[in-house]
Amino acid sequence: MHKINRNISATAIIAALYVAITLALAPISFGVVQLRLSEMFNHLAAFNKRYIFAVTLGVLIVNVFSPLGPIDMLFGTAGTLIGTTLTYFCTRKVTSLVGKFTIATICQLPGMLLVDLEMHLYSNLPMFPTYWILAAGEIASMVIGAFLIYLISTKVDLYK
Amino acid sequence: MNKILFGRYVPGTSFVHRMDPRAKLILSLIYIVAVFMANSWSAYVVSFIIALTIIASSGIAPKFFWDGVKPLIGVILLTVVIQVFFGVGGHVYWHWGILSITSDGLLNAVYIAIRFVLIILVSTVLTLSTSPLEISGAIESLFMPLKKIHFPVYEMALMLSIALRFVPTLIDETEKILNAQRSRGANFSSGSIMARLKKLVSILIPLFESAFNRAEELATAMESRGYQGGEGRSKYRVLNYTKNDIIGTIFMMASVALIMVLRNWS
Repeated sequence: MHKINRNISATAIIAALYVAITLALAPISFGVVQLRLSEMFNHLAAFNKRYIFAVTLGVLIVNVFSPLGPIDMLFGTAGTLIGTTLTYFCTRKVTSLVGKFTIATICQLPGMLLVDLEMHLYSNLPMFPTYWILAAGEIASMVIGAFLIYLISTKVDLYK
Repeated sequence: MNKILFGRYVPGTSFVHRMDPRAKLILSLIYIVAVFMANSWSAYVVSFIIALTIIASSGIAPKFFWDGVKPLIGVILLTVVIQVFFGVGGHVYWHWGILSITSDGLLNAVYIAIRFVLIILVSTVLTLSTSPLEISGAIESLFMPLKKIHFPVYEMALMLSIALRFVPTLIDETEKILNAQRSRGANFSSGSIMARLKKLVSILIPLFESAFNRAEELATAMESRGYQGGEGRSKYRVLNYTKNDIIGTIFMMASVALIMVLRNWS
C-alpha cells in the first residue's frame, strides 16, 4: 500500500476524531473544573509525526465554526501547530512515556502565547497575568490528558 | 448531535450566499482588522452599520445571530467587568484599593463589548452562509501559493474534506459507545476525578480503535481506486469570482477606508 494513502487517511480520521471528541464529550466536566478532553491530543505528536498535522487540522475545523471564526482559525491553529511541532521534535529521542508526556506538556506553553495575544487584542487584558492563568489551565488539561493517553497507549498502538 | 457542527450552515440564495467563499473569508478578516483599528464612537457606529448591511444582505433570520453571540456572553461580561474595575485614566469616579472606576475604563469596556459583538456577528455570517465544503475549498485555494515551498496543499485539502465527511460518523459512534457504556451501568457524572477518568477511557479506547480501523479501510479504498496524489486532479466544485465578489470587495474597501478616516480624524 502507498504510504501517502495511509498517511492521508490516518491524519484525516484523527482530525475528525479530535473534532468529534471536542463536540460530543464537551459536557463532561468535574464540577468547577472543566476538563478540556481534546487537549490530550497534543500528546499524540510525541508518538508519531503524522499527529502534528492531524491535531492542527482538527483545531482548524473546530475553530472555523467557533463564534470568533477567522481570528480563532489563525491564532488557535497556529498555537497548536507550534505546540505539536515542538512536541514531536523534542521527544524524538525520548523513550520513556513519562518523559514524553512531561516534554509535551511544556511544549504547549510557547503556543499559549498566541492565545494570550488573541485575548489581549480582543479584551485588552494584560499579557502576562493572563498568560500565567492560561498556562496553568493548559498544564492541568495536559496532565489529565497524559493520564488518558497513557491508559489508551496500553491498549492501542499509537506509534503505527 | 451533528447539528452542533453542521447545523450552523443555513442554505440560501442571498447576495452573501452567492459570493465566493474565498472572498467571504478574506473580507471577513479585513473587516475584523478594521474593527480592531476603530477607536472612536463614530468609527464604531460605521462598523455597526456595515455589520447590519452584511447581515441584511445574507437574508438570514436574526435569531441565528443571537445563537452566535449567546455562548460568548459570559466572556464579554467578564472582559467588561475587568475593564470597568481595573481600567485607568481619565476622571476617577470611584476608588477602593486596586479597584477603580474611571471614565477611560468605562469607555474601553463599552468599546471592547461592541468590538466583540461586531466580530461575532460578521464571523457568524461567514459560517451561516458558507457550507463546510465551500470553506474547505476556499482554504485549499488560499493555501495554493504555499505549493511553491512544497507545502502539500492537495493532500491538506483532501484530508480536510475526509475529516469533514467523517466528523458526523465519529460523533454518532461516540454517542453509541456512550449509550452502550451507560446501558452497562456506567455513570460518567459521579465518583472521584480518577474514577471518572478511568470510565472515560472505556469510551476513548474503542473510539481510537475504531478510528484506526476506519483509516486502514479508507487507505485500502483509496489504493483500490488508484489514488496517486492530488496533482492534476480535476474538481467537482470549481470556485469562481463573480460580480457579487467585486461589489462586496468595493463595499468593504470603502467601509474600511471610512473607518480609517474616522480613526485618524478623531
